[in-house]
Amino acid sequence: MKKVSFALNGIVQHWEVADGETLLASLRREGYFGVKFGGCEKGECGACTVLLDGKPVNSCSLLTVQVEGCHVQTIEGMGEHPDQGWKKTAGLHPIQQALVESGAIQCGYCTPAFALAAKALLEKNPNPSEEEVREAIAGILCRCTGYLKPVQAILKAASILRGEVDEQDWIEDTGVPLPVDWPSGADQSPAPAGDFGSPEKLVLTRRKVFMPRMFITPEVRQKTLSRVGKPELKVDAIKLVQGKPAFAADMEKRGMLIAKVLHSPVAHARIKHIDLSKARALPGVAAVLCYKDIPRVVYSTAGQSDPIPGPLDTFSLDSKVRFVGDRVAFVAAETEEIAEQALNLIEVEYEPLPAILDARDAMKPNAPIIHDEPEYVNFGESNPQRNLAAQIHIDIGDVEKGFEEADRIYEAEYVVPKVQQAHIEPHVVVTYWDEDDRLVIRTSTQVPFHVRRILAPVLGLPVKRIRVIKPRIGGGFGGKQEVLIEDVAAHLTIATGRPVLYEYTREEEFIAARSRHPMRIRMKTGVKMDGTITANEMRVLSDTGAYGCHGLTVTGNTGHKSMALYVGDGPYRKSPNIRFYADVVYTNTPPAGAYRGYGVPQGFWPVERHMERISRDLGLDPIAFRLKNAIREGELHPFSTAWSEGREPRPEIIQTVGLEECVRQGKAVIGWDQKFGNPEWHVVAGKPYLRRGIGVALVMQGTAIPYLDMGGASIKMNDDGSFNLLVGATDLGTGSDTVLAQMAAEVLGVPVDDIIVYSSDTDFTPFDKGAYASSTTYISGAAVVKAAEDVAEKIKKRAARMIKEQHPSVQVSPEDILLEDRKAIAPGGEYVTLAQVALNALHHTDQEQIMGIGSYYSPVSPPPFAAQFAEVTVDVETGQITVDRLVMAVDSGVIVNPVTASGQIEGGMTQALGYAVCEEMVYDQYGRAREKDLVDYHIFRANEMPKLETVFVQTYEPSHPFGVKAVAEIPMDGVAPAVGNAVLDACGADVFENPITPERLWRALKEKQSVADHH
Amino acid sequence: MKPAPFEYYAPTSVEEALATLQSLGYDGKVLAGGQSLIPAMNFRMARPAALVDLNKVKELFYIKPTSDGGLAIGTMTRDSVVEKDPLVSERFPIVPYVVKHIAHPQIRNRGTFGGAIAHADPAAQIPALSVALQARFLVRKQGGERWVNAEDFFMGPFMTVLEPEEMLAEVVLPPMAKGSGASYQQVSRQKGGYAQAAVISVVVVDENKRCKDVRVVLFSVGETPILSQTARKILVGNVPTAEAIAEVAEKISKDEVDPGTDIHGTAEYRRHLVKVLVRRGLTEAFERAK
Repeated sequence: MKKVSFALNGIVQHWEVADGETLLASLRREGYFGVKFGGCEKGECGACTVLLDGKPVNSCSLLTVQVEGCHVQTIEGMGEHPDQGWKKTAGLHPIQQALVESGAIQCGYCTPAFALAAKALLEKNPNPSEEEVREAIAGILCRCTGYLKPVQAILKAASILRGEVDEQDWIEDTGVPLPVDWPSGADQSPAPAGDFGSPEKLVLTRRKVFMPRMFITPEVRQKTLSRVGKPELKVDAIKLVQGKPAFAADMEKRGMLIAKVLHSPVAHARIKHIDLSKARALPGVAAVLCYKDIPRVVYSTAGQSDPIPGPLDTFSLDSKVRFVGDRVAFVAAETEEIAEQALNLIEVEYEPLPAILDARDAMKPNAPIIHDEPEYVNFGESNPQRNLAAQIHIDIGDVEKGFEEADRIYEAEYVVPKVQQAHIEPHVVVTYWDEDDRLVIRTSTQVPFHVRRILAPVLGLPVKRIRVIKPRIGGGFGGKQEVLIEDVAAHLTIATGRPVLYEYTREEEFIAARSRHPMRIRMKTGVKMDGTITANEMRVLSDTGAYGCHGLTVTGNTGHKSMALYVGDGPYRKSPNIRFYADVVYTNTPPAGAYRGYGVPQGFWPVERHMERISRDLGLDPIAFRLKNAIREGELHPFSTAWSEGREPRPEIIQTVGLEECVRQGKAVIGWDQKFGNPEWHVVAGKPYLRRGIGVALVMQGTAIPYLDMGGASIKMNDDGSFNLLVGATDLGTGSDTVLAQMAAEVLGVPVDDIIVYSSDTDFTPFDKGAYASSTTYISGAAVVKAAEDVAEKIKKRAARMIKEQHPSVQVSPEDILLEDRKAIAPGGEYVTLAQVALNALHHTDQEQIMGIGSYYSPVSPPPFAAQFAEVTVDVETGQITVDRLVMAVDSGVIVNPVTASGQIEGGMTQALGYAVCEEMVYDQYGRAREKDLVDYHIFRANEMPKLETVFVQTYEPSHPFGVKAVAEIPMDGVAPAVGNAVLDACGADVFENPITPERLWRALKEKQSVADHH
Repeated sequence: MKPAPFEYYAPTSVEEALATLQSLGYDGKVLAGGQSLIPAMNFRMARPAALVDLNKVKELFYIKPTSDGGLAIGTMTRDSVVEKDPLVSERFPIVPYVVKHIAHPQIRNRGTFGGAIAHADPAAQIPALSVALQARFLVRKQGGERWVNAEDFFMGPFMTVLEPEEMLAEVVLPPMAKGSGASYQQVSRQKGGYAQAAVISVVVVDENKRCKDVRVVLFSVGETPILSQTARKILVGNVPTAEAIAEVAEKISKDEVDPGTDIHGTAEYRRHLVKVLVRRGLTEAFERAK
């Protein structure tokens, strides 16, 4: 131990630390939870950034003893809530303020790092260029935003700090959060040919908010809404920008143990012998568990509704390991060091079994059987004897007849990789027994209610003795739609009686978390010479890895969404011929699971690459060809009568299709007509080895799972006329708490500020199936509206009575009351305030708690549609691709919050861009992961980004009270094929496998050259 | 993970540091910026018995002009300082351009010029840069010192001629000759990613545009930075034609590099990149030479 003295946020500290302790560990131990753990401990993610003598550094790569005599700054020293009862403070730092107002905060996990890096930059350079801002934050990885809004925020903060906006204007007497005003003309008229001018900067009353472009259909324009459709501040932004201890691991519990897991070093083996005695004997070790120590309960880790639409094939611990990274034993110890040491003392003898590492080998006759356990529970067509986790056969129409009627048939095979969600907050959970001997699970999850239901039998507890708390989540993207590590901590808490923290490292994220299913996809499409598609077939080999979890549903969606888009034209439009067959197989690799897009990006890479190739071969305009065959308003979703996530399918008519308008808007923004087919645009002056290209992809997704997904909400009124909104819906950084509050505020006639949102806690909030399937705004939103309407009705009844009492001459019935401006107003203008109503209800007359509940499930899943465009520059000598620009015009129905929604689009496009050009997970011949960190697995940094542009084409979806459709997943679908098509446009090279790495493109170019030479 | 236990020393002078290193012998390890070493210790890939932290040795942080027009850089000078120093950009414009490609700002705020050289990562920029610029290294130990040319310093991946009791104290960059031009070329999956192949080219031409000297240094394609001999043989004394440059590029890619196949690319592709990058680098360096 050494003594170290240094200044922390201006206050001198004298700490005693171990020589080897990093500053990150010391700060978090001392309660500075604004410094975040990104799991890497090698300076790659930047979540742990602090300022050391004014400069940003990674606190994971700095020993605490090294800061002797230095100045350290963390987010805790930057700014605070201005209004703390009788105490007023200086408030938030202008940088924090700008991050809040610009919508730069999604999950908020990296926000403290951005704020600190921005502070360091602006103190040195008060007038930075955008490029300088991007460079300054290039060391901080963000998986949510696509960096656009953080960059805008920092530029805005710079302008504020330069005094270009009156500082006084920033602080309104209502305190924080500031209610944002919005422009009355935020909507844009239809795109003129050419450019929009500069519509992004809209001057608000006093502040600027960067708004996405909007195209608003007349149906939407008719609706006059006061809260829905406005760029309200994110309801959790203020706490996140201060780095408050809002995340699962930001807590202290007396006696809390640290958990670690021994992961299998081999791909497939039986555990012949395991000896835990040495590990257990190590001082400081509280428990070591292997399969012999806990009950053997078969389950599925997939966070889905009951019954799980997939096989039950998983155990908390088993006598067999099925992939490198599979679980062998759990340890809980007083410190991380001791836990690590204990892992090394566990002696295991493995009996190796032959492993399947390539999905193509899984169903070969003599393939080893990965799941031979007798407890295995089949679902649907699963067959463990054949390593088949699921099988899908869908035939719509008469596909063979369709092929016979075609003039040409196009066939090709496409390959999509396994990729990581790479949320910056790793999987993390804390478990403990509460004073009622109920097990509390505080976990970073998208599915708190599924966690409770699924784990109850695994832990031997009834559901009623488990409470799951979902705090703020540092990103999930599907990775946390999995009951992945909660059982580890829970078993250890049961074994020891003590609180347990289990936090994945980044390496564990790569070897032992979930990922996107890699697939091989064969397309076969019949087309007439005029471009009419007569039949379309997709055959998929999908690799679920060692466990079946989401295998069926992910792969089902691959076809259900991507193969529904092109029904064909003419007679085929009414009776399309579509085939979708899939085998979902087990291999000895880490399981795939849910990842934003949920199988659909895997489908659109082949479909949209294939459509491009067909249109070019037939000499047809690629966009006209697509629109000719694409599904239209009022038509039946072709898959709706064929398949529904393992449940009974029911017909669905698609009510809103904004696809043509998306194409029109997107083309105008990217300048398609000036660039496509224009040879001059395709070359770069002075650089003969560079070529430019432009590409498009049309896509569709779904909105929730019909007849299944349910969300609940409850609202209660407080003495002052504010409301608690309790939702089971799970905001994982998306902003769903905010849009749900906006909908409640709209119905109740109050500012969003008056809605106190809480999500989610299985003890306090109503059920919600969780954050997945693009459903929260639609499903949980409708539930909130129902609950709010319930409350509004009670308010109006009482208000009518109160108004009559005050104005005996006035005749007013509850239906005529309008809720607006925190008042209940009669048609004649007489009103009572909501605070008066609340006091009356709670204290004065005929007392009652005004509250309402609502829940909702949907008979339909209205698809959002989009046109995604990419512009690339290709180096034909090296194969290096630079994506210069991504444009997405999307029909997500009515947009509840343009700032948070555009944040979803920008962040989604950025993740999808990684899928397009640089991200992939590969395994060696022993099944060991090649990529185990964010250095080798490169995700986009702020200084590598293309220009990102969003256009919302707002249709009005009649099945929802505010006309919304989904927004969060669809941006994942079209980027890769649009980039692939742009690469083809640039250099003529067809790449069938993504990501299009420089080497892959170089090989495609060589291939093209050798074909050309051959002719 | 957490580092294995170690002794920690934080000397405040070079003498004290050298004395500590002398007494520790093989147990001692110098801690400079720590951007490679501390992560390696976090993962227990490095387990030094003792760390000698140079971050409090103020006399090792400097950039000084030398009278001949070169620079002397103290070993602990941070990458971000080198990147932004006006004297560095004036005398060696290639240096900040290359340094900018190192990781990202947090890393450059801690990482040091000398630390990167002593660490000798075959995929790192600064070792190659030092070879390309004919740097000389002042190596000190208690009671002695020696000068080592950059070319002779790197023995293999993460291996140098430094003895356990020695410390790299200063890097001297001799002045760029009149008629010099330089270029940096790399290919990675994305801008900030790991370089699959990279080349630094420094050329000198006479007033008749004849090549007087050429230093082509490749990295990420072998165990150490590779200084091409072929380039010298073919180009020195001649006006560099496109054909000659192409020939150099071809020969280097065939004979002088030894890329491996790893997760970032195959050997075949990297050889191809070497050919393209050497050609582009030399062309650009000769265009810039004046």
